[in-house]
Amino acid sequence: MQVANAGKVRNGSAVPVRARPALSRSIRRRYWLFVLLVAPAFLLRLATAAFPILQTMYLSLTNLNLLKNTNAFIGLQNFPAVAGDPGVRAALSFTVILVVGSTVLELLVGMLVALLLDASFRGRAFARTINLIPWAIPTIVAGYAFRWLLDDQFGLVPYWIHQLTGIRFVAFISPLSAQLMVVLAHVWKDAPFMAFVFLAGLQGVPQELYDAARVDGASPWHRFWGVTVPLIMPLTITMVLFRLVWSLGSFDLVYGLTQGGPGVATSVLALQIFRQGILFFKFGFASAISVLLLILVACAGVLGLWLFRRADVTY
Amino acid sequence: MMVKGQAIRPARFKSGSLAVYAGFALFTLVILVPIYWMLRSSLANAADLIKLPLVYFPSPTLKNFDTLVTQVPFFQYVRNSLIFALGTTLVTLLVSFLAAYGFARIPFPGSGILLWALVLSMALPDVGTIVPLYRVLKDLHLLDKIGGITLVMSSTLAPFTVWVLVSFIKQVPYEIEEAAIIDGASLPRIFWYILAPVTLPGLVTMGLINFINAWNNLLYPLSFTTSPSSKTLSVSITEVFAGYSPWGKPWELIMAVGVTMTVPIVILILFSQRAIVRGLVGGAIK
Repeated sequence: MQVANAGKVRNGSAVPVRARPALSRSIRRRYWLFVLLVAPAFLLRLATAAFPILQTMYLSLTNLNLLKNTNAFIGLQNFPAVAGDPGVRAALSFTVILVVGSTVLELLVGMLVALLLDASFRGRAFARTINLIPWAIPTIVAGYAFRWLLDDQFGLVPYWIHQLTGIRFVAFISPLSAQLMVVLAHVWKDAPFMAFVFLAGLQGVPQELYDAARVDGASPWHRFWGVTVPLIMPLTITMVLFRLVWSLGSFDLVYGLTQGGPGVATSVLALQIFRQGILFFKFGFASAISVLLLILVACAGVLGLWLFRRADVTY
Repeated sequence: MMVKGQAIRPARFKSGSLAVYAGFALFTLVILVPIYWMLRSSLANAADLIKLPLVYFPSPTLKNFDTLVTQVPFFQYVRNSLIFALGTTLVTLLVSFLAAYGFARIPFPGSGILLWALVLSMALPDVGTIVPLYRVLKDLHLLDKIGGITLVMSSTLAPFTVWVLVSFIKQVPYEIEEAAIIDGASLPRIFWYILAPVTLPGLVTMGLINFINAWNNLLYPLSFTTSPSSKTLSVSITEVFAGYSPWGKPWELIMAVGVTMTVPIVILILFSQRAIVRGLVGGAIK
C-alpha cells in the first residue's frame, strides 16, 4: 500500500484507488520494445533449451523406450540402473579424468604457448596464425586425423617411435594408452584457444606494474608469479569454467578417435547419452544419464564460481 | 590495451633466443604434422598409404575426391553443410542483435537477471537435451530437415553472441541514436543506418565464429538427420569411416572428407584472423 500511495503522489493522480503507480506512456512503450526485441532469442532458448531440459528431468523418471514401446512413470528406478551400468560407470570415471586431466594440461601448455607468442621472434605472425588451426578444425576431423596418425601399422607416430627406439607402439589396444591419447588429442585441440586468451591477458597487464616490481628488485620469475598470475587469475578461472562445462558435454573427439574403446575405456557420459538415446531409443534411460551429467556440470559450475569469488582480486 | 615495444615482461622468453626458436619449431611441428598427414593422405593413391617404409610425399592425385563424388552424394553434403552453416549464422546474428540492442540500450527492470539467465543457459550441455529435442523436432515436422538443425544450432549459439554484441553496442555512443530518434527515425532505420555500420566489426566477428561452429557441428546433424537431403559433411565423414575397403578403413577417403571440411575454415581464419581473435578474447575478457 505504501507503494501505491507513493505512486499516486508522484503521479499527482486524482483517481482514488490505484494498485500500481501508472507508468508513463513512453516508458510503457519502451518496455514493449524491450520485450519485442528480446522475445525471439528467449523463445528460441525456451523451446530448445529450457523446455527440453525440464523434459529430460521428467523423462528420467519414465521407462520410455521407442523400441520396446514402453512409456510408464517409474519414479527413481532408472537411477540405480544407471549407477549399476558398467558402461555408464566407466564413462563417468573417464569423463572426470578426461575433463580434469586435459584442462590442467591445457592450462599449462596454453600458458607456455602464450608466453612464446608474446615473445618477439621472426615468424611470430605465422605462429599466431597457425595457433588458430586446432581451434578452427572440426573436432570430428581432428579425431579421425589423430586416429590415422596413430595407426599402429601405417601411422606416422608409431612408425617414428619404431624407427627411433625399436618399440612397437600400439596406441589403442591398452586402456591406459588409449585414454592418454584421448587426453593429449584434447590438449592439441583446445590448448591453442587458451593460449590466445592468455596472450590477451598478458598484453592487458599494465606495464607500470612490471616497472614497479622491477624497481623493487623482483626477478623475472617473481614478476611472473607476483604480478602476472594474480592479474590474469580471474580470466583463467572464467576460462576454466567454460572449458569444464563444455568439455563435460562433448563427445566429438572421442567419437572420431576411439568410439569409446577399447571396450568402454574411453567412453564419456555424452557418448553414452547419444548411444542410449539416439541409437537405441532408450529415452528414459538416456535422460537419467543426462541428469547425472547435469549434476556434474552444476558441481563444476559451483566450484568455478567459488574459485572466482576467492580470486577476484582488484588492484 | 596492447603494450608494445621494448617493455619489460615477466619471466619473458628472451626474444630471439635459442629457447624461443626451439619452442617455435616444436610448436609448429606439433600443430602442422596432423594437418600434413591429412593432406598427404587425401591426395594419395590408396595403395601408397599402406606401403612400408612410409611414403611421405606420394604422387598427388585428386582421385579420392572423384571417388567421393561418385560413391556418396558428396556435392549435396557440401551444399547442406553450407546452407546449415550460413542459415545458422544469419538466424543467430539477427536474433542476437535484436536482443543485444534491447539489453544494451533499454532500461528494463530485471534485464540484468534476464541477460544473466541467458548467458547461464550456455552451461546446459547440448547433449543433455537431444532426447527431448528429438521429440520436439518430430512434433514440429522438423526432424531430418536442415531447418530443424538450423533452429537448434542458432539457439545454442545465441547466448554467447548476445553477450559479445551487448558489449559491442555499449561501445557505440548513445548520442548518435538519440539524435536520430529526435529526428524521428524509425527503429529499423536506426538499426540499419546507424547501429549496423558501427557494430559491423562485432557482427562480422560473431558471424565468422558462428559459421565455424555450425560448419563443424556434429551432434545435431548426427542426432537429427537421416537422409542425404539433410545430412551434413560432419555426418558423412562418420559414414565414410564406418565403411570398409578390402584393405581396412578407407583412410584416403576419410581424409579427403576431412580436408574438404577443413579447407574453407582455414581460408576463413587466414583472411580474418584478427576479427576472430577479437571475438574469442572479447567474450572471455569482458
